[in-house]
Amino acid sequence: MRRDYVDYFLIFFGSFLIVYIVLPIAVILVFQAFDFGMLLKTLHDEMVLEALKNTLVTSAATMLISLIFGVPLGYVLARKDFRGKSVIQGIVDVPIVIPHSVVGIMLLITFSSAIVDNYVGIIMAMLFVSASFTINSARDGFLAVDENLEHVARTLGASKLRTFFTISLPLALPSILSGAIMTFARAMSEVGSILIVAYYPKTAQILVMEYFENYGLRASRPIAVLLILISLAMFVTLRWIVGRRRHAQA
Amino acid sequence: MLKLEKVSKDWKEFKIKDIEFEVKRNEYFVILGPSGAGKTLLLETIAGIHIPDSGRIYMDGVDVTELPPEKREIAYIPQNYALFPHMSVYENIAFGLRIRKADDIDETVRRLAEVLGISHLLHRKPKTLSGGEQQRVAIARALAVQPKILLLDEPFSNLDVQIRSKLMEEIKRWRREFEFTAVHVTHSFEEAFCLADRIGIMLNGRLVQTGKPDDVFLKPKNEEVARFLGYENVFEGYADGSGIKIGGITLNSEVAISGKVKVAIRPEDVIVSKRDGKFEAKIESIESLGFASKITLSMNGLKLKALTTTSKIVEEGIKEGDRVYVSLRCFNLL
Repeated sequence: MRRDYVDYFLIFFGSFLIVYIVLPIAVILVFQAFDFGMLLKTLHDEMVLEALKNTLVTSAATMLISLIFGVPLGYVLARKDFRGKSVIQGIVDVPIVIPHSVVGIMLLITFSSAIVDNYVGIIMAMLFVSASFTINSARDGFLAVDENLEHVARTLGASKLRTFFTISLPLALPSILSGAIMTFARAMSEVGSILIVAYYPKTAQILVMEYFENYGLRASRPIAVLLILISLAMFVTLRWIVGRRRHAQA
Repeated sequence: MLKLEKVSKDWKEFKIKDIEFEVKRNEYFVILGPSGAGKTLLLETIAGIHIPDSGRIYMDGVDVTELPPEKREIAYIPQNYALFPHMSVYENIAFGLRIRKADDIDETVRRLAEVLGISHLLHRKPKTLSGGEQQRVAIARALAVQPKILLLDEPFSNLDVQIRSKLMEEIKRWRREFEFTAVHVTHSFEEAFCLADRIGIMLNGRLVQTGKPDDVFLKPKNEEVARFLGYENVFEGYADGSGIKIGGITLNSEVAISGKVKVAIRPEDVIVSKRDGKFEAKIESIESLGFASKITLSMNGLKLKALTTTSKIVEEGIKEGDRVYVSLRCFNLL
């Protein structure tokens, strides 16, 4: 009987954060379901659609750039030993600890008018705060690949590059993709630095704020719901792809 | 075919020092040593995964010391086989052939699979195979590219005893079929004896002795090798032409040397009996190993280890503290 109390204790404490995460999402979806007309109206609002498009395009671009530059860096961090490696590793994690408004200020000081109010500015702000996810999961993915596999591929005649593309990369891909999902999601949710660097072209996450300030909760809610749905759909789909790949290899 | 000249490499906690040996075409060379002796590092250095700190490596007279692994035509099978988990057995075996853009890939893969008895596994993923099957796939994948030499790292250590002896027999058969040259590292005397044309003893990063298995086992070069090969009794003695004095006893020996010598005796060669024998001794302890038992004897102050069958101990009623007779079947001078 004693064990049961322990179980109850674990269940109670374990559920708290889960409920806390699920509750607001459920509540906003339910509220919106009762106000379906507003959602439909929002879907016909040119400004909203434009903003959503901006968000998706810039987030996707950010993800792509983080992959192009993050995967090689992750590989180096996983496979090479060199002086100052821990410093490099530290630098990769720095963006996570800097307040996002500060990121915006720093970027503005560094690149000044070149990034003000354009796509480049949005993407740069997003990249700064979200690239760490891709780099770190690429590194973890490569670390999990048995080095002997690479060695054997080499002895069988594969060059370094060929070994990378036929052995290391495919095996690390699930991990890299889940890092990319995180980068995409993080980019989509970035507000602080974008607010400072590039208020225009308007992205959906900025528009939510603007509608809230100008027209109130009821007007901003449908956009928020759309963002949630897009994020969740992205998240679930990519998780599913990654899971399938993992499963196929196991 | 393969020749190493004073090859040294220091890598992480492993070290090999001044390794020198030569392997001839179609020869099966087994490097025998305890774990941590640097055997894997040596194979990886031959394969080109590490560049030696000093020394040279030659293949067919060509210096390959600085060549990358893919240019050496040396196939390497690591201890965990390292099958590519995202590829089927077929793709694993075909991997090297596809790189070479060979034109009879399918034929080669199927022939190898046939001989190695894995034809029915070609569509499977490596994770679904048993240890023995994985081993065969790894060998097939290595042989597919017709390497000049095959490097095997403890190929049987992850397998059950029955599968192990069966595979060892098969390796002999495959050798006749494909005529490959191999360097095989292991800590198992059984593998060395069963497979090797020649063996090398590796201790603490050095190749201490090489030769035919019988020669090495019967004539260990020094105490270190003798102890590794199971000569548990090593004594300092003094030879005077007619015999060798160790402690209080004298061994008859025809050897025409005199001066300080070392005598090595295998426990199997120490015969313990209650009835007769050459020397008297006292049983210090008896340790049962199942069918065999290890006896520690005290003989004129010398500690002597003997290995005998457990049934003999029971038959003769040998107990700790008993006084018994000891004779030596043979001994070696180091």
